[in-house]
Amino acid sequence: MATQSETAVKVGQALPSHVKDVSQRRIDVYSGVRPRSIHSDEDWARQKGFRACLAQGMMSTAYVSQMMVELLGLSFARGGTMSMAFIKPVYAGDRLTVRGVVKDRQSEDGATRVVVEVWVENQHGEKTAVGHASGLLS
Amino acid sequence: MAATRTLTPFKKLTLDALQVGEEFVSDETLVIPGDIEAHSYAVEDDHPWLVEGLAPPTFMANQALHLRHSKYIVHAGLHARMEFNFVEPIRVGMRVRTRGKVIDKYERRGKPYMVTEYVTEDDTGRILVRGQFTQMIIPEPEAADGHAE
Repeated sequence: MATQSETAVKVGQALPSHVKDVSQRRIDVYSGVRPRSIHSDEDWARQKGFRACLAQGMMSTAYVSQMMVELLGLSFARGGTMSMAFIKPVYAGDRLTVRGVVKDRQSEDGATRVVVEVWVENQHGEKTAVGHASGLLS
Repeated sequence: MAATRTLTPFKKLTLDALQVGEEFVSDETLVIPGDIEAHSYAVEDDHPWLVEGLAPPTFMANQALHLRHSKYIVHAGLHARMEFNFVEPIRVGMRVRTRGKVIDKYERRGKPYMVTEYVTEDDTGRILVRGQFTQMIIPEPEAADGHAE
């Protein structure tokens, strides 16, 4: 996979966004299927006041990881960081958009660490997860 | 003479029952291609991880998140924050486990939270991922989300 070169990554740059259709089937595969789980038992989820089953917040960290691997390649798996807060539920059937903007470039042991503000928003434009991720340019 | 088995005692998770400094350890998981394919399908990740013999960086995240289930009956919970420091790639064929330690517990706006520091490592003790996460503890009577994490 072609990743960004050292000079190509600039502060203020928006990363290519990713669109994710969060189906019940994908939630089931990610979280497993269990009774009395708001991830996989729709009746239970409705009993608890939700309009549908919820996706695990952790799925959003995987989306952000995918975006960072596209930016940095496998160096994200060696020296990368991510910090996310889950601020709004994601429901089965939601369409999410994963976004990132480069906020900083920092020197680190002769290399350059890129810091990216990341967030996930739903089809209504509401942010569901926010945070930042970073990694070393290879 | 029959060997004596030690059974893990489980208790209900409450802020009072939980102790700061308490430690958890997961079972060991063999990283297999089928699980990587399933993960990639679930999160729509088309990177050729298996061609590279690797797993996505967040592949073992649920092993960390579920640590408290190794000692407690978790009626319900919500995942509030997650932090990762990716140290080494997770590779196909590795045997991986996660260790965790409760580093804080508190109430905010009447809701109980716990903070766990974790390290995911291979069977030689090499660190792969480390970080911490914050989970809300929802007491049984007012649980809003079943087994959610």
